[in-house]
Amino acid sequence: MTAPLLQVRNLTVRAGETEILRGLSFDLHAGRTLALIGESGSGKSMTGLSLLGLLPRGVAYGDGCAISFDGAPLPLRDERGMRAFRGRRIGVVFQDPMACLNPFMRVGTQIGEALRRTGVRSAAARRRHIADLLCEVELPDPAISARYPHEISGGQQQRVMIAMALACAPDLLIADEPTSALDGTIAAEIVRLLATLQSRHGTAMLFITHDLSVAGALAHDIAVMNHGEIVETGSAETVLSRPEHPYSRRLVEARKALVGMPGHPTVRGAACRAVARDLSVDYPAKGLFGRPVRAVHEADLVLHEGRTLGILGQSGSGKSTLAAALCGLRAPATGSVRLLDETLTPSEPRLSRAQRRSVQFVFQNPYGALNPRLTVRRLLEEPLALAGAGGEAPAKIEAALEEVGLEPALAARYPHQLSGGQRQRVCIARALLCDPKILVCDEVVSALDMTVQLQILQLLKRLQAEHGFAMAFIGHDIEVVRWIADEIVVMHAGRLVDRFEVADLQAPQRHQQTRLLLSSVPPRAA
Amino acid sequence: MGARLAGTGLGVARLLFQAAGIVVLVFFLCRVVPGDAVDRMTLEGGLTLAQEAALRAEMGLDRSLPVQFVDWAGGALHGDFGTSLRYHRPVSDMLATALPSTLKLAGFSFLVGIGLAIGLAVAAAMSGSRWLAGLVNFVNVWSIALPTFCVGVIAILIFSIWLGWLPVIGGLLMPVLILGMDNAGQIGKPLFEELREATTSAHVRTAHAKGLGPVRVALFHLLPTALPVALAMSGLVLAGLVAGTLTMEILFGLPGLGSLMLNAIHGRDYPVVQAAITVAAVGLVLINALMDIVHRAVDPRLSR
Repeated sequence: MTAPLLQVRNLTVRAGETEILRGLSFDLHAGRTLALIGESGSGKSMTGLSLLGLLPRGVAYGDGCAISFDGAPLPLRDERGMRAFRGRRIGVVFQDPMACLNPFMRVGTQIGEALRRTGVRSAAARRRHIADLLCEVELPDPAISARYPHEISGGQQQRVMIAMALACAPDLLIADEPTSALDGTIAAEIVRLLATLQSRHGTAMLFITHDLSVAGALAHDIAVMNHGEIVETGSAETVLSRPEHPYSRRLVEARKALVGMPGHPTVRGAACRAVARDLSVDYPAKGLFGRPVRAVHEADLVLHEGRTLGILGQSGSGKSTLAAALCGLRAPATGSVRLLDETLTPSEPRLSRAQRRSVQFVFQNPYGALNPRLTVRRLLEEPLALAGAGGEAPAKIEAALEEVGLEPALAARYPHQLSGGQRQRVCIARALLCDPKILVCDEVVSALDMTVQLQILQLLKRLQAEHGFAMAFIGHDIEVVRWIADEIVVMHAGRLVDRFEVADLQAPQRHQQTRLLLSSVPPRAA
Repeated sequence: MGARLAGTGLGVARLLFQAAGIVVLVFFLCRVVPGDAVDRMTLEGGLTLAQEAALRAEMGLDRSLPVQFVDWAGGALHGDFGTSLRYHRPVSDMLATALPSTLKLAGFSFLVGIGLAIGLAVAAAMSGSRWLAGLVNFVNVWSIALPTFCVGVIAILIFSIWLGWLPVIGGLLMPVLILGMDNAGQIGKPLFEELREATTSAHVRTAHAKGLGPVRVALFHLLPTALPVALAMSGLVLAGLVAGTLTMEILFGLPGLGSLMLNAIHGRDYPVVQAAITVAAVGLVLINALMDIVHRAVDPRLSR
């Protein structure tokens, strides 16, 4: 085999006394893809930045790290020397393209800046090159280059970022979570595009991700990172099917467990907790002459006791709005909602206070849902005090914490002293203390790491079996939703386009939107 | 397009409304102050009651306030601010001689201020130097803690009296530098904070990752991010310059709107006070409108 294009030896990065990266070593050959996988905080993004010499202020390379690129050592500590590599031989695509593109500059100009670095001087030649690059990332409409970043969609923005990285025909492409800010179907397209471009140009790619299935679909080799160390390296097949290190094994098993589904008991004749008929929801008009925006069109839905309804759709499809209206948080514009023992209509949209306690929410971002200035105990006392049950609070809080699998001692902590998974458990405990008849979970696991996701899903499933509440589970990840739901509705542009029992997911009569969401799940390497 | 026109129309209507409000306020505020131009002359020259009454009738001060207002506002709308009660010259002429001097002082001070602020803030944010960040803070504290008239007096003492380098009266250099420093302190600090945050933002990191040089990153990727803050602060600073030029003009004996206004207030020379304040106020409203327009023009996210 030829010499590797990129050879990293003993890469150590520290912030003061703390080591963020601890002696990483790996090789990357031309034309190959290495996926760097790990959970948030494992140091995988820092690895990407350290290869570019773009360490944040206050972070420095340790002694004895050596990175050689194409046979010569990279001048890591020499800003001017590194600039010769950036945008000429090493290209990079970051996550969250909206934040990465300069909002004040047309996207064509931003690509042009990258081209100028490679010596394309004349404006006419640059225009031609920009059009070619945009075609290559499958944005054939030349009008795109005259747009500003906020005028194009997230998927288009990421394609522009890729075009920018390709402008210099790099030998090494670093892709740092390029799909994590994007919807499932669009993310799948971006992954496919990156794979195509990589094989066409023979670029070496370092693909940084937390998503094992993406890594499996794209990478030749996989390196697993944990706490700033590479714990296992190997070919993608080996690592995903026969992981050796205990940590990689846990990662792989968490994802597998999602695929192997639990039983879905079909409860016939279960009581209806909420019934929506012809339910439409409007957003109020903006400005003097604006018209209200209809976010949900004539939806019919039923929530049964002890069952979970999965609401699946891309962002902006209206799924959160539908759930909010179903639970009396938003007034219906037309139609009605029969909720518990009351009927909500456009003229009488509010649920009585006592009934409102029976409907509880758990949201996507647990940190935002917990008051940072209150301890866990105070947070959990609140619903009890509102119900007039403040007296028995300590015992109830302890019981609720135990029920969601948290140590009672955690009650004295503040939210910022908890991990993401623990915070979400506190949110669930808070909802449980209201003794809900309906629990609405809005993307509750999408901000969490893979291993934690599964634990939270299992917790919800167990609590539902014990308490018998009806659950509406909103999500964009079809694997997560089908794991937990008994019945699924698919939303697209404010309409319910498909509805089925989970067992019929693969049935041929599925709507094309459902199939699109299904196809965005990358083929599994294992 | 229709919506855009309607928006512009609304904007213009709002501006006119603001300006009209200021004009009304100025007129009645002047009259609330006890004593009028004739009382002032009595104090200086000792007029008899009959003479006072005759003078008041001649100046139209014996009429009811609403009548006086309509008379004055009607003239002002046509650019006729009446005649000075003390100097018996058309107020428009007096303004025409005073305004250019003030505009020159304000304009130069603003340019010095914004130039100094941008230069310091960009250098401090890009280099990460603690020394430069300290300098930004120093200038900021300077402008908050030291009133310009105080700095002015000390500067005259040092540069004119002790060193004899600069003239006490009429020189533009000292007032421009003093006001410029004051402006730089107010704009520089928020600009620096904004820029420092922007240096770690994703799109600036992307610009570095493209391999762009530091100058290009600063000019095209870093500075635009701080533009909204710079514009907002500039609006405030320009408003502050109305008061700033006034003290400088008096201290350094410069002819201008400030000196004119002060004399007129002392003499209860209503037409001159009203005209000077109206001009300053309408100028401010226009500056604010201009800032909005510039902001819209440079930030593509705001234009629909």
